[in-house]
Amino acid sequence: MKRGGFPLVMFALAVASAAAAPGDYVESYDTPYNNLTVQKTGSVVELRARSRAAEYLESAVDLDDPLRLVVPYTRTLFAAAFLQPKPQRVLMIGLGGAGFNRVFTHAFPAALLQSVELDPKVFELCQSRLGFKPTSQTPVATMDGRLYVKRSKQTWDWLILDAFRAGFVPPHLKTQEFYRECAAKLGERGVFVTNLHTSTELYASDLKTIQSVFPQVVLFQTTGRGNVIVCAVKYRAPSVTDPAAWPAGDPLNAALAACIDLKALASEKTALPADETRSARVLTDDFAPVEFLDAMKVNNTNPR
Amino acid sequence: MSRLLFYSLVTVLGILSMGFQLLASRLLNPHFGSSLIVWSWLISTFLAAFSLGSIIGGWISDAPARPRRRAQLTVAALAIGSLAFTAFFGRLALDRIELAFTELTPGLLVSCLGLFFLPVTMLSSFGPQCVQHLAAQGTPPGQASGLVYGVSTLGNIAGVMLTAFVLIPHFPVSTLLYGWLGVAVGCLGCLLVMLRPPADPATP
Repeated sequence: MKRGGFPLVMFALAVASAAAAPGDYVESYDTPYNNLTVQKTGSVVELRARSRAAEYLESAVDLDDPLRLVVPYTRTLFAAAFLQPKPQRVLMIGLGGAGFNRVFTHAFPAALLQSVELDPKVFELCQSRLGFKPTSQTPVATMDGRLYVKRSKQTWDWLILDAFRAGFVPPHLKTQEFYRECAAKLGERGVFVTNLHTSTELYASDLKTIQSVFPQVVLFQTTGRGNVIVCAVKYRAPSVTDPAAWPAGDPLNAALAACIDLKALASEKTALPADETRSARVLTDDFAPVEFLDAMKVNNTNPR
Repeated sequence: MSRLLFYSLVTVLGILSMGFQLLASRLLNPHFGSSLIVWSWLISTFLAAFSLGSIIGGWISDAPARPRRRAQLTVAALAIGSLAFTAFFGRLALDRIELAFTELTPGLLVSCLGLFFLPVTMLSSFGPQCVQHLAAQGTPPGQASGLVYGVSTLGNIAGVMLTAFVLIPHFPVSTLLYGWLGVAVGCLGCLLVMLRPPADPATP
């Protein structure tokens, strides 16, 4: 449902209307799960979620250049390719604007990329405003991500968790039990990937919880941003933490290398913050005060 | 002093009911997610329990002394027993229910009815009995009703705030459920003493 009245958006509308190019627009939608703003400026369409008098960039797509990853951390998600370079089956929890999906299908055209999105309106806007067209290779299910993982009978080569509601991840997608369910649905050499924010107390608990399930964990810090992409595997050997062992450059995937500077991506590997995680508590279904640990100071981009 | 204890017990009843709703959501989330569908079923279950509990409580309040006493003991036992079941076997039951129902709605319905409806119904049945208790002591019925439901609603608010901002951030849900059970045993025990009906006048 299209609605107006949000002061920031009205202000943005007023400013935009003075200098907007033909075809530019700002729209707002209230859904059962989100308060969304869709803004088109030139060829770029942004999907933002409003929360606490701020807006958080959930996704963005350049309609003229769909392979350009507008949101920086989306590029970092492809670090999974260092650990499992030939994914055939990928599960993405959290569709957003499907910026990741376009590059993925370009780089791995034969692979299946199954997305799961809770909010049907996000899926609708993704198609009607952000130009995403799901195919048999890129199907989308609208349901809770954890339920999908539990009920899925398949195994996955990459399992990516990037489900945010205005910068906030529901507690049941942050627990040790859920990560175990994800690990159980990974193939033998599968990679679990998730997007964390570094500036809250939740970060240390997140890492400690992930480490309690996955024996090997590698972190990639998105340059200049507060995002850390976690890549984790459920096997102890061979080691995946040494970059020297990773496939690199064009041999890894020429199509992917054409979209992403893989050497720069590899250089974003960062150390595990051992001091911070030492005193953190593991989050479980029984104890997951996620809302209170997450001060939400930094998101995908600066709050507007 | 006894009036202060009485209102304290009414407040605790309110805390137990609404705080339990937040604990219920934490129990359901790992199995059914945290979508609007989950919250809709949860809130509806609690409101239905408040409704049925009030009707049952009203019936108990008007019953003669001996059946009233039997009914009081029965609802207190059901409240404690069902709370104990949720505390000790809630997660196990949810694991089974989730496997048994592939559709979200029937699974939620069975979970909400099986784990939350009975204890909240039984706890709610003490509201009208507290009104009757005040009225029997000389408080006008309308005033008694307003006082009990006003204080109970303040307890509801305290239950939500305490559970959300103090208890859930610091304690595991399982520990809190055991706490709920302990407090319910104490609260209902005191109420059973306080609400003991006077003996029926001897029949000529």
